[in-house]
Amino acid sequence: MTAYAELQAMSNFTFLEGASHPHELVETAAALGHRAIAVADRNSLAGVVRAHAAARRAGIRLVVGARLDLDDGPGALCFPTDRAAYGRLSRLISLGRRRAPKGDCRLSWQDAEEHAEGQQLVVLPPAAGLPSARFAAAAAHIARRCPRVFLAASRRFDGRDGERLAALAGLAAAARAPLVAVNDARYHRPERRPLADALTCIREGCAIDEAGRRLAANAERHLKPPEEMARLFAGYPEAVARSVAIAEACAFGLDELSYEYPDETVPAGETAQSHLAQLAAAGASERYNGAVPAKVRAQIDRELELIGRLGYARYFLTVHDAVRFARSRGILCQGRGSAANSAVCYCLGITAVDPDRHEILFERFISAARNEPPDIDVDFEHERREEVIQYIYAKYGRDRAGLTATVISYRRRSAVREVCKAMGLSHDLAAVLAREARMRGGAGPGAAQLRELGLDPGDRRLKLALALADELIGFPRHLSQHVGGFVVSRGPLSELVPIENAAMEDRTVIEWDKDDIDALGILKVDVLGLGMLTCVRKAFDLVARHCGRRYSLATVPAEDPRVYDMLCRADSVGVFQVESRAQMSMLPRLRPRTFYDLVIEVAIVRPGPIQGGMVHPYLRRREGKEPVSFPSPELEAVLGKTLGVPLFQEQAMRIAVVAGGFAPDEADRLRRAMATFRKTGTVGHFRAKFVEGMVARGYEREFAERCFSQIEGFGDYGFPESHAASFALLVYVSSWLKRHHPAAFAAALLNSQPMGFYAPAQLVRDARDHGVAVRPPDVNRSDRDCTLEPDPGSAGGLALRLGLRQIKGLSPEHAEKIAAARGGGYASLAALRRRAALPRAALDRLARADAFGSLGLSRRESLWTAAGLGEPPPPLFAAAPDGAEGREPGVTLPAAAPGEEVAADYASLRLSLKAHPVALLRAELAARGAVPAAELANVPAGRRVEVCGLALMRQRPGTAKGTIFVTLEDETGIANAIIWPRVFERCRRQALAASLLAIRGPVQREGIVIHIITERLTDLTPLLNRLAAPADADAAPFPARSRDFH
Amino acid sequence: MRLAAASAATEEAGLAPGMTLANARALAPGLRVRPGDPPAAARRLAALADWARRFAPWTAPCGADGLWLDITGCAGLFGGEDALLARLSAGVARRGHDHRLAAAGTHGAAWALARFAAGAGPFALPADAAAIRAALAPLPAAALRLPADAAAALSRAGLRCIGDLYGLPRAPLVRRFGRAPLDRLDEALGRRAEPLAPQRPPERHAARRVFAEPTVDSASVSAALDSLLKELCAALARAGLGARRLTLRLFRVDADPRAIDIAATRARRDAKGLAALFADRLNGLDAGFGVEAMELDAALVEPLAPAQTRLGAPRGGAAGSGSGSAKNVETAALIDRLVNRLGADRVARLGPRDTHIPDRAVRRLPPLPGPGAKADWPAAERPIRLFARPRPVAAVAAAPDGPPMLFRWNGRVVRVVRAGGPERIAGEWWRGDSPTRDYYRVEDAQGARFWIFREGFYGAAPDGRGAPRWYLHGLFA
Repeated sequence: MTAYAELQAMSNFTFLEGASHPHELVETAAALGHRAIAVADRNSLAGVVRAHAAARRAGIRLVVGARLDLDDGPGALCFPTDRAAYGRLSRLISLGRRRAPKGDCRLSWQDAEEHAEGQQLVVLPPAAGLPSARFAAAAAHIARRCPRVFLAASRRFDGRDGERLAALAGLAAAARAPLVAVNDARYHRPERRPLADALTCIREGCAIDEAGRRLAANAERHLKPPEEMARLFAGYPEAVARSVAIAEACAFGLDELSYEYPDETVPAGETAQSHLAQLAAAGASERYNGAVPAKVRAQIDRELELIGRLGYARYFLTVHDAVRFARSRGILCQGRGSAANSAVCYCLGITAVDPDRHEILFERFISAARNEPPDIDVDFEHERREEVIQYIYAKYGRDRAGLTATVISYRRRSAVREVCKAMGLSHDLAAVLAREARMRGGAGPGAAQLRELGLDPGDRRLKLALALADELIGFPRHLSQHVGGFVVSRGPLSELVPIENAAMEDRTVIEWDKDDIDALGILKVDVLGLGMLTCVRKAFDLVARHCGRRYSLATVPAEDPRVYDMLCRADSVGVFQVESRAQMSMLPRLRPRTFYDLVIEVAIVRPGPIQGGMVHPYLRRREGKEPVSFPSPELEAVLGKTLGVPLFQEQAMRIAVVAGGFAPDEADRLRRAMATFRKTGTVGHFRAKFVEGMVARGYEREFAERCFSQIEGFGDYGFPESHAASFALLVYVSSWLKRHHPAAFAAALLNSQPMGFYAPAQLVRDARDHGVAVRPPDVNRSDRDCTLEPDPGSAGGLALRLGLRQIKGLSPEHAEKIAAARGGGYASLAALRRRAALPRAALDRLARADAFGSLGLSRRESLWTAAGLGEPPPPLFAAAPDGAEGREPGVTLPAAAPGEEVAADYASLRLSLKAHPVALLRAELAARGAVPAAELANVPAGRRVEVCGLALMRQRPGTAKGTIFVTLEDETGIANAIIWPRVFERCRRQALAASLLAIRGPVQREGIVIHIITERLTDLTPLLNRLAAPADADAAPFPARSRDFH
Repeated sequence: MRLAAASAATEEAGLAPGMTLANARALAPGLRVRPGDPPAAARRLAALADWARRFAPWTAPCGADGLWLDITGCAGLFGGEDALLARLSAGVARRGHDHRLAAAGTHGAAWALARFAAGAGPFALPADAAAIRAALAPLPAAALRLPADAAAALSRAGLRCIGDLYGLPRAPLVRRFGRAPLDRLDEALGRRAEPLAPQRPPERHAARRVFAEPTVDSASVSAALDSLLKELCAALARAGLGARRLTLRLFRVDADPRAIDIAATRARRDAKGLAALFADRLNGLDAGFGVEAMELDAALVEPLAPAQTRLGAPRGGAAGSGSGSAKNVETAALIDRLVNRLGADRVARLGPRDTHIPDRAVRRLPPLPGPGAKADWPAAERPIRLFARPRPVAAVAAAPDGPPMLFRWNGRVVRVVRAGGPERIAGEWWRGDSPTRDYYRVEDAQGARFWIFREGFYGAAPDGRGAPRWYLHGLFA
């Protein structure tokens, strides 16, 4: 049997050229009996880790290498023979990529020669025609300058293969670069030719009919069996044999990449382990005021022992260092994810969930058996995350710290759009299909859907395009930067993995993504941004300033029943996580009374438990309507805490092991497959194994199916218990702030925008509902941020003064200047303009916001005055007394109607403290028979009512099969309505476009949760517009905006 | 992407210009969208302005979507302003445009009424200042032809209607809002003159000759044609134009005119050459009872730079250096003569088509190279003669993809002594399923060279088809 190893195969990480995934190439090569396979992408190692993992599974050797495209000569395949040579190749690619714009690479043969030590270079002749004299000279030159140079020969089936092979053989002999047979594969099987052609069209931006000879003439660039290669190179058996020799000379494999965390974090004279132990002890003593509970102490010892055994101490120290830096700058941070299962992390200040108060499962975080590095993700205040990132860059240098990549892959929508274009289908059709794809959340349209769209499902082109789009889904398109996944190394990072420029200035990313890093056992730290941390820190600051008490995440009084009372009322606007509509309707049913209830609350309103149908069983059991039972005794251990209903990701994985008969590593693969499920769409064999495995062990098929659906639902948003615990802490802290310091909490929320679920208008309204006096922005009272003012009439004795930041179009610099130059106050617009050196536009923005109330000026008067001031005088005249602009005749402007005032407030502030627009229309609405939202609480279930309000939000959750949820707001409160798809189709326009909506239908209630089931929708926007502009309603529509799902 | 315009039906569904395409599609899922083409819209508007000149001598487009007509003194011809507006409205509607019409004593007032007055119109305002003032007062400030931000600034200050401006002192207004609002107001009220430029009617390039007596003599017709051509070409030269299409109309006494069209492959204005193109077509002309008049019309003209007239160079002796363009001109003249004599569909140039499939690789092109065609001929060797339909042959070859060793063609057995290939060409999968072909260049002992292909594969066919078949597709020179 012939021995052959394919050395020239490109994967789809050569974007828009390679038409197979790395694993497809590797698996096919293994099946065909190749001795080894090289996946060599153009100036990139982005696909090698995936190929490596696939090769390990398929039992074939992967030759690590890349295809170098060089600016000044022929290209070459480059295969490093050892670790050092690999480092040079990686550095070479980094060099080329760092000097080129994102996604590009600029390298010359000079560069290649400088990194050629230890490499085997296979020079690639021109793709078409016979090798030219120029190429011959170049090849000979390269062979003289570099060690171990070979010449690639491939069959092109262009009618001249015989001549070409003969010419290349002659050239190889002359240049002393031995000939090696390759097949220059672009795909693993010939069936991929159409996709390869489609990719060419996407790359060239042309339709298939006009692509012509830019496409390949045949489907020969696939992997071929060794026997076939032997036949095709019948006259050159040594060229075929040489492929194996080259592969075998590459002793290097990715498993050799040993990776080490930096030393900086270990002081001289200490080992990493001893230093970590010291820090943990000191931290524990501080956390528990010197009285460390025995349970915690034992836990720390146990953890330290395991950390020492596995050699992870440096990793903990590196994370600790970043966290310590954040602390020193007053940046609030908290570890999320499985790190909350570690007492050491708690003592190091990385996490805030007290191991003494909560059951923790360190094995979930680190396990000797799993041989998987721990993963610590830390959330920082979103506004200040960049400081932490720059600190890490500065501490370790750019050559040692890099962000991991995120591989942006084709989703159905992008695949459909681009394939349709490539197939010459109209732009319009592509847009319709792409939109359809988005609405259907990933699944391809069936014949019925196509007919619904007015398309012919039998149309050949359309069928081809949809089939190709299916194949394209999951193909990588480009590398982007991960939100905050840092890899920090001891040696130069560029010798571990190529580094390239990110789209963002001053950022560099490595070529591998999170999964690649995981697969190689490399450690990373996720530096993430979280808006709520910003808000909580600002609230703590305000409380400290105005109430004289300084709190931290860990010192907020625990288990306060008044906080839980508030949550049970679904009074949670602004609170972390549980403020969404879905969470709000869950709160009164779940009735949280303890911290662990919050952990469940956070985890239960997720696609996983919802798709798995686990929510209602859990609620019934909790309410005592259903007995708590366990499907089997062995599952009691897994499901005990959650009343026999699986809610957390790790429970679902434990079920796979305990009840489904999965090996632990198999369950882990299942979890990973799920994470990429939406991208690749292949979990079929897992499903069969899971369900059949459970049935075979005596479980009901229905339960097994539900468990698997739940795992599918975890997909992108897996929520392990520890993660839920970290989030639950923020839920508790933000609830506590809302309950006890409503004014400070509201101010902090407003000062951290944009974040969270609600717009400033709702946050302000909620604060007022809780008795907080809210005062308008004013040039003589407001800072840039919202502030608190003593007011005995307000809740907690503090009133909320809106900041100048709420004013649309006013720059932060101008806002700061106004506050800084205020002194004893501004007596006139002219004084403000002069002292704060404001341009006319800034005065105009302030006037539009009606921010001159303290000067006794109405909005129109101040607008008129501001417009008359002109630009600020040059500095020489700045000393001129105010009002030296000359006298002018007095002007009486028409007074503004209340509706106009409110509309103008909305236009500038997106809220109005003067009145709610619906209040001004109440008489008309009452005449229609509409009831105020607050009245709904008194309406019996089933009775038909009409509610009318501003459309605040329109949502179409992916889990709700096309149902729309609309939130209306009137002057009395909020009303939620459900629009079933059937009704929605009938009144699409009203539902989507109206700013003021009237919704009629029966009232549905579950506990204190009330919905209106929409039967009829009326668009009342004209009423609203008439408020805004009594003269001409079309000219200036009322500036209300809804947050919508599209 | 945003909507540039929406039909009345889609506006019913809530769509409006300026809306994003994504929002529009959410509102109207079955929406049909066509890319906007502002230049084409502007051309159509200009054409409409030309058409409207039948109502008034002075017309011009107004912005991207309006039309000015100066109907001063024209109303009487149509039986009054109302009648004029009614006929204009009917005409515009016939041409497929939604519209609103207003007539007023000033441009500004007409503009404001047409766009902002309540009701459907047409609006006709008496030409006195008080009437204009009263009619404009309730209209929004935007009706003063102000930019959107200027109108919004007025409206924020509470000055929402034009009438709100009437009583205000001028200096403070100008200081705050610039000159524009008051200037536009003065123009609309007729307190300030407003010059506008009309659109000039398109120039027509034609020459006409009326015979004193009807003639049936073809010689006098062609003599008259010569002088018409000379006159027209001189006019074209002055305008820097050349003709691509000429129409000669012969008006016969029996009132049954004849027309002769000639086309040129490039713009030209050489009277002699053009006369030659007409000559062939004039030959068989039936003059009936006589031709009274002739008109020569350059129906399609293009810019043509004046040619450098050469000094001293003898005619016809231009084969020397630097005569490339002269030669092109001569080729073009030849092609024009062939086209006008044989018909446009009978003169063509063969060019490559960008495809791998040999059967489709050649196409007919217009006789002169245009700017668009730029495909190359394939790099691989192709036979000088390609059969329109490949001819089946029986052949013997080595499996799986060896060249044929012998084949039978034209009743004789051809023994192959030399062969090259295969060149593997797969079907264009997106056009339908066609099998892969392996082409071979083969030569027999006599030196005759053939292009022969096998469709399908021996043995385990890679694309799963039946037994291979051989065809002869062409002959090399």
